[in-house]
Amino acid sequence: MKDYAVLAKDHVKVDALEKVLGTTKFAADYQMPGMLYGGVFRSTVPHAIVKKLNLEKARALPGVACVLDHTAIPGKNRFGIIFKDEPCLVDDKVRRYGDAIAVVAAETPDLVQDALELIEAEYEELEAISTFERAMEEDSPKVHGDTNINVKKHLEFGNVDEAWAKCDVIVENTYSTHILSHMFIEPDAGLAYVDEQGVMNVIVSTQNAHYDRNEVAAMLGVPQNRVRVKQATTGGGFGGKLDISVQLHCALMAHYTKRPVKMVRSRTESTLVSSKRHPITMKCKTGATKDGKLVAVDCVMTCDAGAYSSYAPAVIGRAPVHIVGPYECPNVRCDAVFVYTNNPMCGAFRGFGVPQAAVCHEGQMNALARALHMNPLEIRRINAQKVGSVIPTGQKLTESVGFLDTLAQAQAKAAEVMPEALARLDKE
Amino acid sequence: MNNITVHCTVNHKPVTVETAPNKRLLDVLREDLHLTSVKEGCSEGECGACTVIFNGEPVTSCCVLAGQAEGADIVTLEGISPDGTPDAVQRAFMESGAVQCGFCTPGMILTAEALLAKNADPTEEEVKLAMSGNLCRCTGYTKIIEAVLLAAKMRREEARA
Repeated sequence: MKDYAVLAKDHVKVDALEKVLGTTKFAADYQMPGMLYGGVFRSTVPHAIVKKLNLEKARALPGVACVLDHTAIPGKNRFGIIFKDEPCLVDDKVRRYGDAIAVVAAETPDLVQDALELIEAEYEELEAISTFERAMEEDSPKVHGDTNINVKKHLEFGNVDEAWAKCDVIVENTYSTHILSHMFIEPDAGLAYVDEQGVMNVIVSTQNAHYDRNEVAAMLGVPQNRVRVKQATTGGGFGGKLDISVQLHCALMAHYTKRPVKMVRSRTESTLVSSKRHPITMKCKTGATKDGKLVAVDCVMTCDAGAYSSYAPAVIGRAPVHIVGPYECPNVRCDAVFVYTNNPMCGAFRGFGVPQAAVCHEGQMNALARALHMNPLEIRRINAQKVGSVIPTGQKLTESVGFLDTLAQAQAKAAEVMPEALARLDKE
Repeated sequence: MNNITVHCTVNHKPVTVETAPNKRLLDVLREDLHLTSVKEGCSEGECGACTVIFNGEPVTSCCVLAGQAEGADIVTLEGISPDGTPDAVQRAFMESGAVQCGFCTPGMILTAEALLAKNADPTEEEVKLAMSGNLCRCTGYTKIIEAVLLAAKMRREEARA
């Protein structure tokens, strides 16, 4: 290999020294003179209309700088990375347990807690939708608008219906993956302040500073050049810090109080309202010849994407195109439906739906190997995508397809560290 | 609630702090003494991000009340290399690629320091057991374990030199 300056060499990370010395500043480590602390009053029901909201007792507490609900928002009260369907503060109704209804800024974190306990909300509860099936029923309450379907995708390649006649073996199985929290080790935190030029500055633990800026500007109803977002050193994200966390609430309260406002989520609050991995159910029919060559795959994917859209329109684009994994298959169909429910919001999470699809295609390859009494490594090898393969999107792979090499290396390593398991594959 | 006065040693210096009795050691270190290398990750003693060396033992400071620190000898990451020169453990973490986002790093390093102060030549199993109270969400732990073993080796070589 060519000798590169960086590639294939050991390098100490540029920020490693300050991290091992403990001098790196994360969002929660920032302090400013006159700084207030912020907190959020959240819904304790998953689906409801807020009938009454009493903020007066909290406002009367000495040391409380502001208590705000949706009526205080100067600009837009809808945000979201793709669909603008999530409120900064609840206006029409609560759509999940933990929806933000009001925000409080006060002189100390203890006072914030005291003020939050003085806020009273009265709800008119609506039926909570907690499954894909109920969301799809005609008489179910609608989480947004007049349908619970968030996004749909259809993939068609070759001719699946005619292909079944060419199959010697067909396996049908259903796979379900579960909802999952990123559990980044640093809970979400941020600080907002208005500088001498009147520009709103937000220092925040985020993966998405440019997007945050757009949303803060839209919420405040100001042009983008009146907002500056600075990413603080961020303690893990894995996709979970692509969505808005404290940015809008901090900025709204800094806008009203003209003082810096810091918000640091507890682990509980962070876990409650940050995005999650999409749980996907995949009902899959896969057919092959007696030699183990894949002929057809037909899969129906359904997903409870939670109360808000977040990255669902992107995840639903990725998962179906990966439904055959790194294997050649001339006939593929995939229908995917993601719905809104009153469950936690699902979003970006390392792999964007591809790991969920892998559970299905690898399960189906094992099922085919069993049905054909083939070695599961062998069936993967004979179907492997390589340079020249055409994938179900119609794309011809022209370079850099590393699957067969990876498989060979994995097998060699397995022979070294787990030879018994490898030998068992032949017997099964 | 009346404040209490706590006398302890923090980073090799005697300290007297007047603080609310319901404050945690974590809050006293971060808010009153501005030692922000001590991180709050879970607030319930699970993640180890708030680890400090407390009378020689790695302890999660979110589970210690301020009053319990009376008379204690406490070391945070700021006390390991006050002049900004990384010690063997810190250098080993850098060289092994054991630092990614860096939020768990202060707790990891302090737990490693406490281990190596007692056991200069730990086995890999002993390192794993000692570090088991500190969670990392980025690295997958392999490099952290390698770093602690490397630090032990570096220390032993330093001692011989």
